Amino acid sequence: MPLVEVDNMVKRFGGLLAVNDVSFVIDSGEIVSMIGPNGAGKTTAFNCITGLYPSTSGDVRLDGRSITGQPPHRITRLGIARTFQNIRLFSFMTALDNVMVGAHWWMTSHVWDSVVKSPRARRDERRVTDRAHDLLDKLGLSRYAGSYARELPYGLQRRLEIARALATRPRVLLLDEPAAGLNPQEKKELMALIGRLRQEGLTIFLIEHDMKVVMEISDRIVVLDHGVKITEGKPVEVRNNPQVIEAYLGQGAAERMAGA
Amino acid sequence: MRRLGRGLLRPASEPAERPARGSGTGTFWIFSIGSSLVLLMGWLLPWFVQPTSSGVGFSPMDVVTSSPTGIGTLCVYVLAVTMVMLVIAPVAELVYRMRKQPVPMRFDRVRVVAAAVGLLLTVVVFLLTRIIQEEPLFGPIRAHTITDSAVWLTMFGYIMAAVAYGARDWVSRRPTVAFAALGLPFGLLLPLMFHQAPNFIYWAAASLAIYTLLALGLNVVVGFAGLLDLGYAAFFAIGAYTCASLASPKHSIHLPLWVLIFLGAAVASMFGALLGAPTLRLRGDYLAIVTLGFGEIIPDLATNNVGNLTGGPDGISSIDQPILFGIHFGINKEWYYWALFVLVIVVVILLRNLERSRVGRAWVALREDEVAAAATGINTTATKLLAFAIGASISGLAGAFYGSIVTIVSPDDFAFAVSVSILSIIVLGGIGNITGVIVGSFVLTLVIFWVLPNLNEWSGTLGQTINVPSLSNIDYSKYTYIIYGIALVAMMLLRPGGLLPSRARQIELKSGGEEESLAAVQGRA
Repeated sequence: MPLVEVDNMVKRFGGLLAVNDVSFVIDSGEIVSMIGPNGAGKTTAFNCITGLYPSTSGDVRLDGRSITGQPPHRITRLGIARTFQNIRLFSFMTALDNVMVGAHWWMTSHVWDSVVKSPRARRDERRVTDRAHDLLDKLGLSRYAGSYARELPYGLQRRLEIARALATRPRVLLLDEPAAGLNPQEKKELMALIGRLRQEGLTIFLIEHDMKVVMEISDRIVVLDHGVKITEGKPVEVRNNPQVIEAYLGQGAAERMAGA
Repeated sequence: MRRLGRGLLRPASEPAERPARGSGTGTFWIFSIGSSLVLLMGWLLPWFVQPTSSGVGFSPMDVVTSSPTGIGTLCVYVLAVTMVMLVIAPVAELVYRMRKQPVPMRFDRVRVVAAAVGLLLTVVVFLLTRIIQEEPLFGPIRAHTITDSAVWLTMFGYIMAAVAYGARDWVSRRPTVAFAALGLPFGLLLPLMFHQAPNFIYWAAASLAIYTLLALGLNVVVGFAGLLDLGYAAFFAIGAYTCASLASPKHSIHLPLWVLIFLGAAVASMFGALLGAPTLRLRGDYLAIVTLGFGEIIPDLATNNVGNLTGGPDGISSIDQPILFGIHFGINKEWYYWALFVLVIVVVILLRNLERSRVGRAWVALREDEVAAAATGINTTATKLLAFAIGASISGLAGAFYGSIVTIVSPDDFAFAVSVSILSIIVLGGIGNITGVIVGSFVLTLVIFWVLPNLNEWSGTLGQTINVPSLSNIDYSKYTYIIYGIALVAMMLLRPGGLLPSRARQIELKSGGEEESLAAVQGRA
């Protein structure tokens, strides 16, 4: 059953067609990867799905309901959370506060509660603090709860960003190059984490360059080149697809590999 | 790309080898240097002010000249020693810091003893001169109006020094509590300390409280939410004109001030939202320009007497002054200050609550990274609007009080310079830090009301004393803004985070700006 449907998405920046008529679906509980050479329009597609860019045309549906044209915060509230390629944490907030910002939208206390620190605000705050601690625990960050985000090592910043995204109670998690800059050990932990999240019922859609990670965890792979979807399928199919090899290695290489 | 507005308010980097400053040690420094300055003021005040005929008090000079052999003289000599010790204490401290050596414990102990002795002797001398003034030992005592203030200041300076050196760790650990412990009694007694010059001190004290309120409000917008607002005086004007219109013969409406402060706050926050709604999609410098325009429009509207509401360039006069519990505020002007003092405390408590709630977190998130905040489910427009409305409402509150105190409001009172002064206060005090903002408004009010007006006289006295007549001829009032500007530039170079930087700001300055982290990312990616 499709959870996210992207229909004929087009994004044009002036004369540049960054995303050209791309369609795909993500089923509930799936891990789908999007790959493609640099500048293929992967991150642009991400930004259009999450509402950071308005798409030029096309439609994005979540659970059958169109979310096209909604502002980013509403899309997050509807259940699509994301991380960023170049980590965008709140540097001068503690790790705990970063995660608690993720919980902001579903907290129930009103501004007036906050102003006078009413019992309801206190209860709300306690509940969310506990929840944030749980999430930090789950991602192995509990030691760093009180550290400022910018003081964390790079690999942990990536994980903290995932924790913040999870705090928004998403149904789909969009990860933009989660393995970039991680060492092999950290990559292994990341894959284990993604697997765990899927088992908990989360749907995951990621952009990734590391083929080892992509091939190992993905159920399906969408391949983009020059803004066009060139193919889609299971890892094995995509790996042997001549068009994909051509996009990555050039035409000659594709022919040689086909000949061999 | 770094936005200009942000860059302006957040200096990018500082040499990494500078020692880390915790907010705690910052507080210690303020206590230490503050006590030194206050003692100097208490000591020098009677020397620099011309004697007048009313009131009797104490100045070290008086006692020395009037009792050449008595206990009084002895006391004053001991006092002088303790003062010199405490006045040079911060310098000694600085020397140790620069040599990266720990300050010896015995120094602290000696200083505390000095402060205690000084406090005791000040009281003794005060009693000797005040209560037993017919005592022949002291002979006839010369009359000084200002000397009571000197006594109060001296006592306060000693107490401050005793706290700073006696409880150094406690001050560093609990800066807010330490500030409250010293600031609350001082704030409460302020009008009494300087009761010899009532009109001046009531006006200065009320101005201090109003500036503090304004700075607290602007701090919500600029410090918490990171929106540069250059037209903040507009909301102040709206509050003041609301009060003026509804409590004066102008429209023959006479509402009590206690209603008007809330009304002023409500109207101002409404205007805040009104200005905010269409403009808050703008960022950084663009927003700054729009707010600058708004800050110019409001006084202009008032000057042009739009709808015959504002009385034109002359403004609105004979604003009512309230009577509460039989106290006429127009006559007992110190009550204005006390009412404002209570208001400041309430506002500080509420703002602290807000800062530490989900709203405060959302503001900081917005300031740090608007895109990430939006992608994390924060409604950026609504959150900015809230900051604008709350900041404006505090300003409106202050404006209503201002109108009632001065009884006449005119467009000139809300010029661009007011917005700049308030922005200077929060930059000086420490953007985003409530305690810092209060300290900043205190320092700036002191400079505006006391240092700058007195510079001519001080310089003249100094010129006479050291026989350099040219010093007497400088008119410092011409250079007010130059002095102001130099002070701000010096401040930004020496302490870019303000007197008391917020915690986040310290980390930023300590770790040396964003460039470094970018380099780290690129190195690893």
